[in-house]
Amino acid sequence: MKQAKVRPIEIAVLLLIALICLAAALGGSRLAIYNLTIIALYATVVISLNILLGFAGQASFAQTTFMAIGGYGLAILATRYGINPWLAIAVALALSILLALVIGKPLLRLRGHYLSMGTVALALGTASFANASSFTNGGWGITGIPSLTIGDLSFRNPAAFLILAWSLCGLSLLAYHLLGNSHIGRAWRALSTRQDISATLGIDVGHYKLMALLIAAAMASLAGSFYVAFTRFVGPDLYDISVVINLMFMLFVGGLRSTVGPIVGASFIILVPQAVAGFERYQNLAFFALLLVVILVRPAGLFGRARGGGALERLMPGWLARLQGDPR
Amino acid sequence: MRSGGTGPASSFRALLQVDGVAVRYGGVRALEPTTFTVEEGSLTLILGPNGAGKTSLLKALAGAVVPRSGRVLLNGEDITRLPAFKRVRHGISLVPEGRGRLPTLSVRDNLILGWSSAPEKRRGAFQAELVRVFDLFPILRERMDQDCSTLSGGEMQMLAIARGLLARPIVLLLDEPSLGLAPMATARVYEVLAKLNAGGLAMVLVEQKAVPMPARRETTIVLHNGCVRFHEPRRPTTKELAALYLGERSAA
Repeated sequence: MKQAKVRPIEIAVLLLIALICLAAALGGSRLAIYNLTIIALYATVVISLNILLGFAGQASFAQTTFMAIGGYGLAILATRYGINPWLAIAVALALSILLALVIGKPLLRLRGHYLSMGTVALALGTASFANASSFTNGGWGITGIPSLTIGDLSFRNPAAFLILAWSLCGLSLLAYHLLGNSHIGRAWRALSTRQDISATLGIDVGHYKLMALLIAAAMASLAGSFYVAFTRFVGPDLYDISVVINLMFMLFVGGLRSTVGPIVGASFIILVPQAVAGFERYQNLAFFALLLVVILVRPAGLFGRARGGGALERLMPGWLARLQGDPR
Repeated sequence: MRSGGTGPASSFRALLQVDGVAVRYGGVRALEPTTFTVEEGSLTLILGPNGAGKTSLLKALAGAVVPRSGRVLLNGEDITRLPAFKRVRHGISLVPEGRGRLPTLSVRDNLILGWSSAPEKRRGAFQAELVRVFDLFPILRERMDQDCSTLSGGEMQMLAIARGLLARPIVLLLDEPSLGLAPMATARVYEVLAKLNAGGLAMVLVEQKAVPMPARRETTIVLHNGCVRFHEPRRPTTKELAALYLGERSAA
């Protein structure tokens, strides 16, 4: 069966990112390696959102909950119980999937704004719990998380971790692409707009929604664990509600249902604030102004596939519009 | 009220038996207990104005709503409580009102979804089934890789019917297939439906107006405010229909 096309511009962007990462791993500055690693890990969470919201149409704001289980799971198991960090990551992953299974059925009965509100509550609850509980060491967080190693190779070396982080991101992207072109992806896209019609086409809507949640939870949990393994610190600020909003910005700036969208969106939200640091007090203002411009020019995101451009797109020169690819 | 399936036509096997099916939404009665039988190769026409209960009846048949009371039997098997996604595998396929556009899915995706909802033992290879569908609607061949949101209303209706047919139904349910279509497209759609019905496919067809579609064996049910007002093995005359729509009890 015919595969959905990844547009040439998206393949070019992927190759460019691979080249940049390779160059950074071989001789990039510490800051460049740090930024690229963080981008890969956030992009992984955004890819999980692209499955949950982009494909299955479930507007969930609770990905930080699964990131937190991944992050705190690794930190607590490794520092308090001396468990091998890889095993700790696997246990945290299992816990995330278990939680998704337990809350999935009741949560996914909610639709539209109600699902959003329910998952926002879950995200707020997660951050509050992390901040208040002695189990998570409250606002101080947990430090001294052991580095990941494979044999003699230590991922304490940032360049090595950069490769590890992009491997996770790349595998997530591959999973996203394969799922999207499978019968599962077709069922998700169908139920995302019309649950009633999907059911009459033989799709078990509840089952497919739960599957999307489980896969997304697994990706977010792994990315959350890797983030903490990289910075070797975990604290409640990592799962603050502003992180939830940033994840959504990343998704929509990059473009819903776009292959490279999550990476481009994560890069934008992470790098642009640094780029406009010269505005000092007005740094945030400059960032949000740029964000607004992007949303006005490309309401479907930089690599979005929606038909028709934004209010300002008509003002763009033709070659620029073509470079972004035919939206269909 | 005359019970369906009796009389001279009863030598034909009953595929779908609707026995006192009633639908309520909260406290609102959408459909009073309704009984009829769909025989093999027949056309069951459900007519009625807006809000008469036509769509509620079809939804109860497709499994999209659970009836308040009554039973739905398919080939003698009780499917009243069977959820919609399982019902299609038993042989009930719905062509939904408003044509059921699924944005972000290509024409091919739509057809694959229809095909994969068919029971495995009744369906052929996808390519072989496609030939059958392209035979009925050649335009779909040209549109295969387009997003279905780019189709015209008539093309989308054809896709919705093709999707429903690929499910290899025993009974095909159609909810207002002519709604919002240009006269040319309506004629084309009914031409194909008549051909399928003549070929032996049993159909339950919901419409607001009289239907320009010949059928060898047919039953017409007219609903008004959720009640059956007419149930005959023929179509009501224009005069009868006008009287029924205005809510007068017909002596027909």
